[in-house]
Amino acid sequence: MPLTILNNQLGGVPPKAKDRVFDRKGKKPEHYYRDQLFELEEKGELVVHRIAEEQDAVEIETKYGRKKKVPRDMTWHHKSCGQCGHIPGYSTSIFWLLRELGYTYEDPRDQTSCTAWNYYASSTSNPAAQAAVALRNFAQAYEDGYYPIIHCGTSYGHYKEVREELIHHPKLRDQTKRVMDKLGKPMVFPEEIVHYSEWVHVMRDAIAEHQTLDFSDITVTVHPACHYHKLVVEDAVYDKELYDGQRTAVVSSLVKALGANLADYSTWHDCCGFGFRHILVSRDFSRSFATIRKIERMKEEANPDVTLTHDTGCVTTLDKSQFAAKAHGRNVGIPVMSDAQFAALAMGAHPYKICQLHWHGVDNRPLMEKMGIDHEAAWTEFEEIAAKVKSGEIEYMSWEDC
Amino acid sequence: MEHNPILVIGAGPAGLEAARGAADLGYKTLLVEKAPVLGGNPILADYAAITPDMENAERAMKRMIDAIIEDPLVEVRSETTVTAAAGDAPEITVTLAGPKGEEQITVGSVIVCTGFQHFDPGRETQMYGYYEYDDVITLVDCERMLKAENFVQPSTGDKPKRVCFIQCVGSRDRQIGNFWCSKVCCGIACKEAIEIREMVPDCQVFVFYIDMRMYGFWEDEIYWKAQEDHKVNFIRGIVTEITKRGDQVVIKGEDTTMGRPVEVPMDVVILSVGMEPSEGTTETAEIFQMPLESHGFIETVGGALNTVTTARPGCFAAGASTGPADLEDSISMAGAAVMKAAGFLRKHTLAASKSV
Ligand SMILES: Cc1cc2nc3c(=O)[nH]c(=O)nc-3n(C[C@H](O)[C@H](O)[C@H](O)COP(=O)(O)OP(=O)(O)OC[C@H]3O[C@@H](n4cnc5c(N)ncnc54)[C@H](O)[C@@H]3O)c2cc1C
Ligand code: SF4
Repeated sequence: MPLTILNNQLGGVPPKAKDRVFDRKGKKPEHYYRDQLFELEEKGELVVHRIAEEQDAVEIETKYGRKKKVPRDMTWHHKSCGQCGHIPGYSTSIFWLLRELGYTYEDPRDQTSCTAWNYYASSTSNPAAQAAVALRNFAQAYEDGYYPIIHCGTSYGHYKEVREELIHHPKLRDQTKRVMDKLGKPMVFPEEIVHYSEWVHVMRDAIAEHQTLDFSDITVTVHPACHYHKLVVEDAVYDKELYDGQRTAVVSSLVKALGANLADYSTWHDCCGFGFRHILVSRDFSRSFATIRKIERMKEEANPDVTLTHDTGCVTTLDKSQFAAKAHGRNVGIPVMSDAQFAALAMGAHPYKICQLHWHGVDNRPLMEKMGIDHEAAWTEFEEIAAKVKSGEIEYMSWEDC
Repeated sequence: MEHNPILVIGAGPAGLEAARGAADLGYKTLLVEKAPVLGGNPILADYAAITPDMENAERAMKRMIDAIIEDPLVEVRSETTVTAAAGDAPEITVTLAGPKGEEQITVGSVIVCTGFQHFDPGRETQMYGYYEYDDVITLVDCERMLKAENFVQPSTGDKPKRVCFIQCVGSRDRQIGNFWCSKVCCGIACKEAIEIREMVPDCQVFVFYIDMRMYGFWEDEIYWKAQEDHKVNFIRGIVTEITKRGDQVVIKGEDTTMGRPVEVPMDVVILSVGMEPSEGTTETAEIFQMPLESHGFIETVGGALNTVTTARPGCFAAGASTGPADLEDSISMAGAAVMKAAGFLRKHTLAASKSV
């Protein structure tokens, strides 16, 4: 019987990181908001909007191992407020992907802004108003028979905070209920709050199957949105295959699936510069942070062809801050777009009619050339359509024109 | 006095002390250990020196093992676990699974000493990159290098110039559900910091902490010593993120005393990982139907005045299977558990002999 002491691992140097294998086990957090929502439903306080079977949901792993359901079909497109005006190609790319991959969706025309941005800047609103806005949108999706998915990181993160507040504060539930009664809408909360990058994550292989462009020469850096992975962290999606399950998998997983080179840089964890409030109250700081801490570092360390992110605020801050730094002769000039736009380009979407890259600040023509897109021909086509709108021949561009 | 043996499960510091104590009192003891070696975490995880005396861990544990190995009253089964238990003390029939297959034995009383496991930093809330960067290591990895007297920067094999510890990794964290303080990691970080300073005198050592929890004599014997004699730098603040720039890992956080952010390159970052109930502790509790307390360790029911009695009559628990514990706690609890187990068996055998 070997009862002597073993002198283990002489030399003692720990294994290299690549040989350390993360195996998620051990104690799991006990309280899940999902169970708490169902408890509230049982008490008759609200209705939980469940993901229905026909919505073709996929279960994916979150930071602490809980499985999160992401519906693929019959989704309700929760838009972003001001930021969508800056990059309309984010939403249109999502619609295009949904259509190409054969899924139905609702593009609501009466969705309310989540108002979280002003809340972060301490300029408006109160918890009851915040919660009522969230619930009004969720009730609308429920009544429309579609499941809400959000692409704005601010709305996504903030709704999760609202969820926490509603679960824990009976008084807030009561106040919100009174607002909802006045609106004639039910108190509804979705069982999962889902972000579009999670939808893209579960669709990445299907997107890759429909890929028409070769991205093997394209180097990509990723900026994960703070509102996505730092706020209510336990809800963000992780995958053992990506960074050993140590960084959120969304966006990066798409880059890999499309065969592009995923490049790392030292400030990946930093904010894009938008901040929760800085872009409103301290804009110069935002611009400097975006360019000096993020873009210049990426340039120096990875020199990517494009950087991808998954929030309207992050796309605009990273993209539209660069012109000022460029004017000062700094080392900038990286095109920025959302994961959905990148996926749509890979599947052959029109760079202007669908992805609307002309709204972006940084010159993205060299990137398109590297991707094998004839951007001159594409621009000519786009101008032809624009001329028809201008002449009154057509009122607006429709899917038939795309 | 005829009696069924006392079953001690787990041969770490607590289990070894329980077996020794039971044999010293004249009780037949069966010591069951899952691993092929005895000594528990100090041996399995290659501890170098142990606090507060800085004695060589291997030597200290060997002394404990020698105390039982030749004792005819102690039967040791290594590579063995208990897989089932039926009946009540003093007649519990346990099924043992070991190298020679399964066997059933009836025992009189049980002392569970199945200990703890180290927190896996892959589950940490902060971005510490243990699975990404060679030079981010844990207290345990550090112990191994110190034991081998070879403290180096893992990526290069060179002597490091700047090393830091990050405290409370996997402890005191509501988000991951580990609400407790692991009790020993502040002391262990100070101990390792001293050892590093002795082994690599040119190396600066920093400790980032929320608050240093150095109870009793550890305050002056380890913490002050680290600061005053070994010039270890203590910085109050949490590091939230580790990234890599060039060849170096960079830590980012906040120095809360100075009220400003810090961003410093380091050669080695040591994560002070805390204690969680071991898988063996959770499984054994289930087999013997011993309730767990709210943090997941084995529940003892006697409050502060009886730290070893469980809800199952005749079954006791000691050491880190009941919650974060240092060696002093573990050994003292083992002694208390033996006393309770012996008392339990004695009462039952006396009662049985009277009724005959
Ligand atoms: C990095 C580090 C360094 C430390 N250094 C010190 C120090 O210097 N000084 C100090 O006072 N404390 C120190 N500690 C704390 C010390 O390790 C514990 O106090 C001590 O190990 C607890 O002893 P234990 O016997 O209760 O548990 P453990 O040491 O965990 O031993 C449990 C034993 O039970 C066995 N086991 C588990 N499950 C089963 C099963 N199902 N069947 C059979 N056997 C099983 C295990 O294999 C193991 O041998 C340190 C802790 C850490 C994390
Ligand atoms: S002992 Fe120190 S490092 Fe360990 S959990 Fe407690 S305070 Fe944190």
